[in-house]
Amino acid sequence: MTEPVIWLHNVRKSFGKQQVLRGMNLTVERGQIFALLGRNGAGKTTAIRLLMGLIQRDGGSIAVLGSDPQQEPLQVRAAVGFLAEDQQMFGWMTIAELLGFMAPFYPTWDRALADRYVKEFDLPRGQRVKHLSKGQNVRLGLVLALAHRPELVILDDPALGLDPIMRKEFNRDLIAHLQGEGATVLYSSHLLYEVEPIADTVAILHEGVIIKQAATESLRSDVKQFVLSAEDYAEHRELLAAIDVQRQRAEVAATVENAPATLDRLAAEGIRPRVIDLNLDDIFAAYVAGHTDAPAGARALGPVSVSA
Amino acid sequence: MFLHIERGSSTPVSRQIAEQIAALCAAGSLKAGDRLPSVRQLAQELTVNQNTVLRVYERLAADGLLDMRHGEGTFVAGNASRRRFEKQRRQFIDELGLVLRRGLMLGIAPEEVRQLCDEALEANAELAPTASDREGG
Repeated sequence: MTEPVIWLHNVRKSFGKQQVLRGMNLTVERGQIFALLGRNGAGKTTAIRLLMGLIQRDGGSIAVLGSDPQQEPLQVRAAVGFLAEDQQMFGWMTIAELLGFMAPFYPTWDRALADRYVKEFDLPRGQRVKHLSKGQNVRLGLVLALAHRPELVILDDPALGLDPIMRKEFNRDLIAHLQGEGATVLYSSHLLYEVEPIADTVAILHEGVIIKQAATESLRSDVKQFVLSAEDYAEHRELLAAIDVQRQRAEVAATVENAPATLDRLAAEGIRPRVIDLNLDDIFAAYVAGHTDAPAGARALGPVSVSA
Repeated sequence: MFLHIERGSSTPVSRQIAEQIAALCAAGSLKAGDRLPSVRQLAQELTVNQNTVLRVYERLAADGLLDMRHGEGTFVAGNASRRRFEKQRRQFIDELGLVLRRGLMLGIAPEEVRQLCDEALEANAELAPTASDREGG
């Protein structure tokens, strides 16, 4: 099947005067582990809530597993494993009671899997939900999201509230259970160094639009930092089309998007910059906080980085 | 097979895996005909996307280092000779260049750098191939 599992086209959403999404486009293919990255306030949670049909969009189109979540919210919610950022559950139930209560809503609920997660996540079955810690609350939300073996899982910052050991277990589960069984996963995260080995594709949401969507691996091979002399930079500024520029005395460190081809074209001009590999953190920072010192003083230069 | 992945490194995960497998082959820890873990297994062990591991295996197979037999698994290729490591060799030369550059930028004199190289070679003398190991130089 070639139909994407998630599809957003020109989606717009405002809260009052604040425009949160300004024409967001996104395509998630079946079987992918897809990471949605963005700073706080970039619109990640709003986008996820729209996908689940929890809020109404102002414009644009959305399809989740072939349904419009705005028209068929129940259908979408039954088919998708969902973890909200601030998931509220019935506080007066114990964990065991809540699991028993949720199971009948899902024909595919896997009791053994739910029990295994409860054990692995170290959740006290007899404890009332309202007395759980923040971390335990997130983990319980994950159990509820995964126990019905959904073909699509949408997780709003699942790593929040998990300690490093549990995050590792959780990441392993993403690969062993979800990817291994062909499920599609869309999750938002701040922990870029953890996203990199896990995600097939990453998308960067910035100021309400997706400014970059790419396979994680090609992002790493395409986006690099070139260090070259200020004169060479000035002469080839347009060819480089840098997304971030840092100056240090006579040298310029320019982050370019299409490194291999750009390198070839510079070589044809006899210029061989020093090439620096960037990790996902660096790449993310270049996209969302890059300074390009556009000519004619259009934009003030940011603080010069001491590294480089 | 023991591999270590450094998260957040500027070396992409796929390259880290490929380099380490190639290094294990070069060092003889993995021998011709040895079976590698399945894509699924290695992905879980390393907590790395399965597609990443698959691509690494495919790339190393294209380089002639591994042999992916459909339905049987992935094995170290029978004729994985020194020439197969051309890519790794070039990478090593690049990295060595960077290290030397750093040393010079720290103000270490070229003679001292040379001496340090000799000492490092001395310390690892047991790894150096003898003349008869080399294939036509």
